[in-house]
Amino acid sequence: MNEKHITEVLDNAALASLSASELEEIRAHARICEACASAFAAAKVSAVVIMERAQVAIEPSPFFQTRVMAALREQQAAESVPAFSRLWKSARALVSSMALTTAVLAALSFMISAPATITSDQTASAFSAESVILGQDGDDQLTYEQVLNAIYTDDEDK
Amino acid sequence: MDIDLARHAQDGDESAFAEIVRRYSPRVFSVASRFFRQRSLVEEAAQEVFLKAFTQLGSFEGRGSLEGWLTRIATNTCLNMLRGSKRRPELTVSDLSEEEDRWLEQQMAEIEQPSVENNLVAADLADRLLSVLSPEDKQALLMIDGEQASIKEVAEATGWSESKVKVRAFRARKKIREAMERLLNSKREVSSEAR
Repeated sequence: MNEKHITEVLDNAALASLSASELEEIRAHARICEACASAFAAAKVSAVVIMERAQVAIEPSPFFQTRVMAALREQQAAESVPAFSRLWKSARALVSSMALTTAVLAALSFMISAPATITSDQTASAFSAESVILGQDGDDQLTYEQVLNAIYTDDEDK
Repeated sequence: MDIDLARHAQDGDESAFAEIVRRYSPRVFSVASRFFRQRSLVEEAAQEVFLKAFTQLGSFEGRGSLEGWLTRIATNTCLNMLRGSKRRPELTVSDLSEEEDRWLEQQMAEIEQPSVENNLVAADLADRLLSVLSPEDKQALLMIDGEQASIKEVAEATGWSESKVKVRAFRARKKIREAMERLLNSKREVSSEAR
């Protein structure tokens, strides 16, 4: 190994995991190879800083559990709102069309039922005496009172 | 039993989930500390881990330990958080603080003066050196070289294949050693110019 450069050995495994004999061989080569001596020195310092960095561990604060539980409740509450909005999104078209149909039906029923609310006098004026006598308006459907009204109203007008 | 605790938590038992958080938060914090130095970031990552774990409790089948399952979620969460972050340029002598400069001189002279302050200086220096690596390579290096984890342990914690772990660790080790070598050489040059 003395003649072989050691950089690959240094990069292959953690310095701390090398055996005593492996380390001795590296040292022996570093004594006769300036480039490898520089690499070995850098590997040693790198190993120290990495070990020190690995020792840094931040402990959880005593309030961490409470914080997580609060965040969990918040998340669940936030999730329930989108669930309602998702439901609304899918049902919106159906609800809108139902509302529109209801409105149309209400309007139609109002229009259809409107003539039934007018008085018999107003209905009678819609027929002329001639048309009633000649039976042009299907007077079979007219009541006796309507026929009389139509005839006398016509006469009074004249 | 972990599996019972997980099932109770999944069924909406808040105290069971609180117990999971209490029991495993030191482990999750330890994983997050590998990636972040600021307490606020470590706490943010750890909270994210537990919230994710809660939604994924159904996927925990109890084949492995709950701790191992959470470690994997923690590792992936931290890696995701770091994925978008920019890597810093390589550290140069002019970037070193006075303390870091002094600490490096002691290392070059092979004078070991362990102290809490010196350890913190070394950890800060490590952070700045490691910031040139990808979060994945940094993770592999810190676990293997820093925590003496085996290749298999890293593979289990990350979900990577063992060969991938080896490649990442080799690449990271080489990059850090070369960066350190350049730093030490330029420091030597600066010192010899000063004389």
